[in-house]
Amino acid sequence: MTMSEMKRTNKMTLETEGETHVIVTRRFAASPEAVYRAHTEPKLIQQWLLGPEGWVMPVCINEAKAGGIFRYEWTKADGSMGFHITGEILEVEPGRRIVHVERMHLPDPTPDNRVETRFEKDAAGTLMTMRMTLPDAQTRAMMLATGMERGMEASYARLEGLI
Amino acid sequence: MARLAKGEATVSELADPFAMTQPAVSQHLKVLEEAGLISQRVEGTKRPRRLETAGIEAMDEWLVMLRKSLEKSYERLDGVLAAMENPKKEKGQ
Repeated sequence: MTMSEMKRTNKMTLETEGETHVIVTRRFAASPEAVYRAHTEPKLIQQWLLGPEGWVMPVCINEAKAGGIFRYEWTKADGSMGFHITGEILEVEPGRRIVHVERMHLPDPTPDNRVETRFEKDAAGTLMTMRMTLPDAQTRAMMLATGMERGMEASYARLEGLI
Repeated sequence: MARLAKGEATVSELADPFAMTQPAVSQHLKVLEEAGLISQRVEGTKRPRRLETAGIEAMDEWLVMLRKSLEKSYERLDGVLAAMENPKKEKGQ
């Protein structure tokens, strides 16, 4: 595989489906078991689930079992800002699949987001598919109204209107 | 929304280029309005809609952040996975 093919293969996608779903996919050059562990073991999660540069996750709890809870707390490294996510784990198939419900606290909680994450063997690696289900079309519209497809067009159209 | 980006428009003006009924367009506009992305004003019998720039910009910013945040996290995860499998096999299989 050439570098450019590798790049294309590992590109993240983010798309909408139906009225209330958001689908994120990403390929990884590791086994489904390893990618699953990196999503469920706090010591591993704290190394990567950090978003933009400059954030840390001092609190990471993940019980990784049906009926368990998780809690991730992020702060800016300089302590200037912070927020957290709480959730309940509904179903777990170790190495293959996780279903959970989560909400962000900003500090008011956002509407519950039900997330199914699948880890499937794909050639030498793993295809991860994360399927989010928002409570209703309006919530998703709020998240995505100007989002990835039409949204970007609207932004560009607006930009054209400004210049 | 691309149409509104070019300026205010009424429901009939918005429905015109699409194979959508006016009630369908109105319903869509209601969702966008509740989300704070557009607003309407009254002008005689017309209610032209316009983009709410502040709402759109906040949403754009949030979405761009979400996408960048996930992409950045997954790039980091590539490194974590590489460290897990090489050079020494960690605990487990």
